[in-house]
Amino acid sequence: MIEVGTELPALTVTLRREDLVRYAGASGDFNPIHWNDRMAAALGLPGVIAHGMLTMASAVRVVTDWIDDPADLVEYGVRFTKPVVVPDDDKGAGVTFSARVDKVADGLAEIDITAVAGEEKVLGRARAVVRVR
Amino acid sequence: MTIDATMVGRSYAAAESYQVGREKIREFADAIGDRNPAYRGDDAIAPPTFAFMVGSRALEELLNDEELGLRLDRIVHGAQKFNYTRPIKAGDNIAATATITTVRKAGPVEVIMYETTLTTVDGEPIATATSTLSHNRADA
Repeated sequence: MIEVGTELPALTVTLRREDLVRYAGASGDFNPIHWNDRMAAALGLPGVIAHGMLTMASAVRVVTDWIDDPADLVEYGVRFTKPVVVPDDDKGAGVTFSARVDKVADGLAEIDITAVAGEEKVLGRARAVVRVR
Repeated sequence: MTIDATMVGRSYAAAESYQVGREKIREFADAIGDRNPAYRGDDAIAPPTFAFMVGSRALEELLNDEELGLRLDRIVHGAQKFNYTRPIKAGDNIAATATITTVRKAGPVEVIMYETTLTTVDGEPIATATSTLSHNRADA
């Protein structure tokens, strides 16, 4: 039974440079700010940053790992509020995702997702809507 | 030329349909570190954000419209939303069309919203993606 206030199991993802390169290849987004320090600095960024779409893909795992069938996701949206800076080291950047059921009505559950890297929230208004059975 | 509100409503279809293969779905799921079994095998569905990659073929056409005067290296992705009629699945042949829905200007920054519809080539709806981009015309 899905109820308002239910907390979903949290998920921590570590993003390393290798992960950004792999995502660039798989997605076709080869924007150099996601792999090249020189280009990132030239654009005034604090360093190479993760693809927003990679962070978005990671965040929704909190929801799709929790529901039985990812096909029950009907809506998913985020705002990219802060970049996730990924250093060129073995540690990478950790991003922790948590989520809570905010509303249940008409066979749908609305779930708010929080994404934190370091001390900062990197996504805003991250929300998924799933069919509940 | 630069983008302005008179360009709301312009539509850009991807040059070719996107043929979804199960190995591409697997590669994408691996790249996002997602081991969900739903994304593997003959009956694989695609992870939710796979839809952005399919829609980006239509975005390419939008960015190629010289009248808008947009440069990829001046664009920041501000927000993204998907509404799914059904998941993308292996074997789908998808047509993507991006339509400009909003243009707002604040000094050198243009905030552009566009909506990308994904359907099968036969017209069956799959998903709609709503994207917000900030384009900064100021020289750094």
